[in-house]
Amino acid sequence: MATESDDTATRGPLGRLTAALHGPNTMGNSRRFWYLFGVAVLLFVFFPLYMLPSSVTNMSQYLSLALLALSLAVVWGYTGVLSFGQVAFFGVAGYTYGIVAINVTGPLGTMAGLVVAVGIAALFAAVLGYFMFYGGVSDVYVTILTLVVVLVLKTFLDQTAGDEWTIGEAALGGFNGMPGIPDLALGIGEPFLVFDDFTLFYAALLAVLLTYLGLRVLLNSDYGRVMVAVREDEDRTEMLGYDVKRVKLTVFTFGGALAGLSGVLYVTYFNYISPSELSLTAASLPVIWVAVGGRKTLLGPIVATIFIERLGLFLSVNVGDWAFVINGLLLLVIVLLLPEGLVPGFRDLVSWLGDRRSEGETDDTAEPTGEVVE
Amino acid sequence: MAVGLDLLVQFFPNFASIVLAATGLAIIFGIMGIINLAHGEFIMVGAFSTSLAYNGGIPFLPIDALPGLGRLIGAMLFAALVTALFGLLVERTIISGAIPNWIAERTVGHPVITPLYDRLLDSMVATWGLSLIMVQTFRNVFGNSLSGVPIPFGKLSYGNSSIGLYQVLLAGVAALVLVGLYLLFVRTDYGMRARATIQNESMAQSLGVNTERTYMATFALGSGLAGLTGALYAPLLSIEPGLGAAFLVDAFVAVVVGGSSVVVGTLLSGGLLGIVDTLFSNVYGTFAGRIALLIVAIVLIRFIPEGLSSLVERLRERRLEVD
Amino acid sequence: MSDATEGMDPAVKQTSAELATGVDTDTILQTDGLTKRFGGLTAIDDVDFGVEAGELRCLIGPNGAGKSTLLNLITGALSPSEGAVYFKGHEITGLDPHERIRHGLSIKFQVPSVYEDLTVRENVRLPIQRLASGTERDERMADALAASGLADKADIEASALSHGEQQQLEIGMAASLDPDLLLLDEPVAGLSVDEREEIADRITQLNEERSIAFVVIEHDTDFVADIADHITVLHQGETFREGSIEEIEADPEVQRIYLGGETDA
Repeated sequence: MATESDDTATRGPLGRLTAALHGPNTMGNSRRFWYLFGVAVLLFVFFPLYMLPSSVTNMSQYLSLALLALSLAVVWGYTGVLSFGQVAFFGVAGYTYGIVAINVTGPLGTMAGLVVAVGIAALFAAVLGYFMFYGGVSDVYVTILTLVVVLVLKTFLDQTAGDEWTIGEAALGGFNGMPGIPDLALGIGEPFLVFDDFTLFYAALLAVLLTYLGLRVLLNSDYGRVMVAVREDEDRTEMLGYDVKRVKLTVFTFGGALAGLSGVLYVTYFNYISPSELSLTAASLPVIWVAVGGRKTLLGPIVATIFIERLGLFLSVNVGDWAFVINGLLLLVIVLLLPEGLVPGFRDLVSWLGDRRSEGETDDTAEPTGEVVE
Repeated sequence: MAVGLDLLVQFFPNFASIVLAATGLAIIFGIMGIINLAHGEFIMVGAFSTSLAYNGGIPFLPIDALPGLGRLIGAMLFAALVTALFGLLVERTIISGAIPNWIAERTVGHPVITPLYDRLLDSMVATWGLSLIMVQTFRNVFGNSLSGVPIPFGKLSYGNSSIGLYQVLLAGVAALVLVGLYLLFVRTDYGMRARATIQNESMAQSLGVNTERTYMATFALGSGLAGLTGALYAPLLSIEPGLGAAFLVDAFVAVVVGGSSVVVGTLLSGGLLGIVDTLFSNVYGTFAGRIALLIVAIVLIRFIPEGLSSLVERLRERRLEVD
Repeated sequence: MSDATEGMDPAVKQTSAELATGVDTDTILQTDGLTKRFGGLTAIDDVDFGVEAGELRCLIGPNGAGKSTLLNLITGALSPSEGAVYFKGHEITGLDPHERIRHGLSIKFQVPSVYEDLTVRENVRLPIQRLASGTERDERMADALAASGLADKADIEASALSHGEQQQLEIGMAASLDPDLLLLDEPVAGLSVDEREEIADRITQLNEERSIAFVVIEHDTDFVADIADHITVLHQGETFREGSIEEIEADPEVQRIYLGGETDA
């Protein structure tokens, strides 16, 4: 059995990259997986060529939300902290971006808005996380507290209709929300690149792609192994000399930043944000995406987000208000029948079929697919 | 002086709403290790059933024909019962998976659902799914609101202000509920079984306690209490499918702050949080009250992770040591 | 983790090297008036428990004597009601468990708690990746696997191991932290005679070759007689006797508490 460092020595920089992307903590370690992944990426890159413009812009919305799902997958799926609060960080970042970008005109304002918004979201998560994890709050109470934070934040935003809640040019607007949030733009003085419609689609696609690959590297690193160890057994991990509280706080803060990035992309799509992004229904969506897709995977939440959001659109057109009922049923059925989620279930099905097929033949794919490990 | 009296009077309804919102949730959490995120929707079922029964919407059951206060009380008891039965159904299908498993064993040949007992996170996700289903189904079936229920008893005047007598009386009902639960847990066979199950499930089983039946009864009891809460608040709320959300913050904060002991914990957290809520809501507005509740919860958990009821246990133990 | 080598300062290594020569027999662990009350029950009552560097100590006592509680107070899983814990001359009473581990303490829990969903190799890797990288890491992982007798099972999931193999794996993980003191809570409970011997060999080997001091909680008197230098008997939360295996075996009072001393909770 060759060890990892032998591999990296023989393969050079490219080998190091592939080694960093692979490991037992993420699904899809086979060559076949990467072929399929490449095809999928190409399909997305050329998406505007064969789809209606409205589908493309809708897709940029789903892709921004996929980042929100990924933030929960990292915090819950890999570190074991179920947070209902991801939408709080999402919403705080959205509002912050709006306030900064409305007040500081020009592309500089939007770039500053992006940075400040993600920073504030991370800070919010860090402060909340500090009190929870260093306060010795048990996992269940962490979940409840994050939910309460969302509820309280929504109550706050709902009552910001008055003039005293106008920050510079930006009015928080209470129930009605904050309109007129500018698109994200690059440049100094004159915008060099404005992210709207198709450009926003590519920006969101790139963000999801980079986040996915970056998270694969993270989760297969030493640190990722510690995260999984924390999820599996906190006491044991502490007794191996790891600072479990700090690991949880770090991951939670990172998750807050990622949710914040998602929030910024999302508000630039609508140029608008309202407290309904922090409603109980909204707070439930990331949990649904991640649980349905498979919380111990990265691909699952992305696929599930796009699929469920697209399905939601389809249902709201065709069955109207029953869309939420179907969403709820989906969540319920998955949690009860397939607690690992759909994508791992699908993977097990594929490998099971593969095993059956190869039983009769000679085993010419001696290299294990590596897709069986979780 | 007048301010003091005002705060005192305001305290009663706040205490009532926290205690009533929390008890059902606390019982199910404490005994079964289930966090019921659909708790608000169970309350909603109670409020809807009350409205329907009171306004004569239940076929073959002319509760609306009862005279005087009987009509309201009848509707409320009916609502609590309906919610308890609904809880029983939820327990059998979703929480324990008994009904789906019974069907699966006869079709696929093996059970398909692992019971959610003590799987806290999974139970939260599943009941959240249930809550989404319930809110939207009620909205689709009953529309955005049902006709209300009148507030009984009129106003109570004190100084230059007044408050609904009914709101103040709710505090008494809340206290009665706590006393009733205390007696239930201390005096009855069910209470003994429930407490044995909390202490040590496998031990209880080996002593012949049917823990599954205890769980069933517990979930029905917790649901019934949620239904009662919905019924009691039906006169004060507009009967719409999202009404449960209003109780969630109170309920969860109270359970978090109260700790493992249902009766003592809920009483203490209801008292403390009631005071906090009254002070801050009165002086700085409703939102400040919510924020104060959240901050108190976070600070308390920081210093008393086992909840307020652990303080009482510690005191009692100290007294034992002195003896 | 940037602070991977924390707690591995040269001075510490120096001390253990000195200890290995047997010149210096400093006390490595000392508790001072350690007391733990759970409500009305005093599980540990004013215990002064000391362990010499490089020593192999067994901790015995009837059920409920407070053995596991004492271990938990030493690792920091529980905090004491009163008293202090000193390790290598420093007070560690207020430290988090992971900080104590980084000072050279290590523990194997009573119930085997390996990461069941990870492979044996991943399990072994977790303690070692904090301390070493590159080829050194690979070597230490290979050593740890070989020493646990699990080299050929490195790539199966830990849940597929037998109970005895899980105990071996966990001792291997605890030992791979390079501790100066290793606490073992009932390492041979539920094992066969052969497996017991393997564990006993492993413990004496680690003790002699790497001069790791041990505190072993165990009920099995044959096993205790096999490995221990020195025995501490805990009874009703207090230190009842301390002495060599012969002294303890001959003590009628110890016989009495074992035969008739099951009254405590």
